[in-house]
Amino acid sequence: MIAQEAQYRDWMLAALKGDAGAYRMLLAGLTRHLRSYYARRLDSGAAEDAVQETLIAIHTRRATYDPALPFTAWVYGIARYKLIDEYRRHKRRATVPLEEAGDLFGHDEAEETIARRDVGKLLDKLTPAKRQLVSDIKLDGVSVAEAAKRSGLSESAVKVTVHRAIKSLNENLREELKEERRGDADR
Amino acid sequence: MRTDDLIAQLSSGLEPVKSGAVARLLLGAAALGLAGSVLLLLAMIGPRPDLAAAMAHPGMWTKLAYTFAIAAFGLWLVERAGRPGAGLTRPVLALTLPLLAILLLAGLQMSAPGADMPGLVMGRSSRVCATYVTLTALPTLAATFWALRKLAPTEPTLAGAGAGLFAGAAGAFVYCFHCSEEAAPFIAVWYTLGIGLVTVLGAFLGRYLLRW
Repeated sequence: MIAQEAQYRDWMLAALKGDAGAYRMLLAGLTRHLRSYYARRLDSGAAEDAVQETLIAIHTRRATYDPALPFTAWVYGIARYKLIDEYRRHKRRATVPLEEAGDLFGHDEAEETIARRDVGKLLDKLTPAKRQLVSDIKLDGVSVAEAAKRSGLSESAVKVTVHRAIKSLNENLREELKEERRGDADR
Repeated sequence: MRTDDLIAQLSSGLEPVKSGAVARLLLGAAALGLAGSVLLLLAMIGPRPDLAAAMAHPGMWTKLAYTFAIAAFGLWLVERAGRPGAGLTRPVLALTLPLLAILLLAGLQMSAPGADMPGLVMGRSSRVCATYVTLTALPTLAATFWALRKLAPTEPTLAGAGAGLFAGAAGAFVYCFHCSEEAAPFIAVWYTLGIGLVTVLGAFLGRYLLRW
């Protein structure tokens, strides 16, 4: 059972009776899941369009929700259909693996913000010059040549620096996880 | 438009949804389609002249029961296919019941002593039966598609097939009043073929017409 099921279902049932307040809360809640769901599968402009399309579909087809069935499965069915529709329109691929509704409700924007913040925290351990290179190349997708020009280093120096920085980040992360696990075991 | 504004717009002036809205839509469409199919049959070929006498024959009731059961379970399948996240297993399993029943009955009639096997299967109208069933089904198919387009079929091909199955069975039900065949083997082969053709047509059309 998905954690949000009971709450969302209550809001939906109230909304079907005409409760606009509950409906607004429901749509705002769903938007967070939808954003994260589409952001992981589409590029950013298309993702926000897909969120809005899905909200409109949820609205216009809300009569098709059967209160005897899980609400989260209903929303997931619509979200997945709109994703396939988006792929089809761009002729990228026509099939989407059949996942569980949990795939939509397992993530939301807040979690992804935490993930970004964690990366930020990790990067802070590097010297400013290295941090700039890693975030340019690995996070923003700047080319090695471009990064070399910006930093005044040679291309091979940039590659070596980034490689070493990533390696040290990995070691840092491994240490942290080990400590966390030790902490969990003590408790 | 910003997503927050969209949410505000969608939730302002929210209309309540009456319970049973989907059932009412589908039953309304089915009634409308069936009326169209009856009119088409009357215009095309009319009822059999000995209809009153035929209603006393168990063969007539076999045909009606078989096609009615497929139509009823088919409409259930359409209803499920129009709702995201709803399973289709139960209506599909239910659909096998009338099929098994007609096959069983056909087997019994064929294995009776002195049965004219080719006659029981081919009857007198095997060449036109499936075609008339398909034609008679078309108004019901159109009405069912119209209703499904207001629902949310996440598998358009499958939903179209369900609509075709329902419409084919409804068309066959109406065609029963023209057709003078009474043998279960004939019904099992030719009625089922007609219903199958409309199902394939529905699946094909569903791919294109049931997108939303």
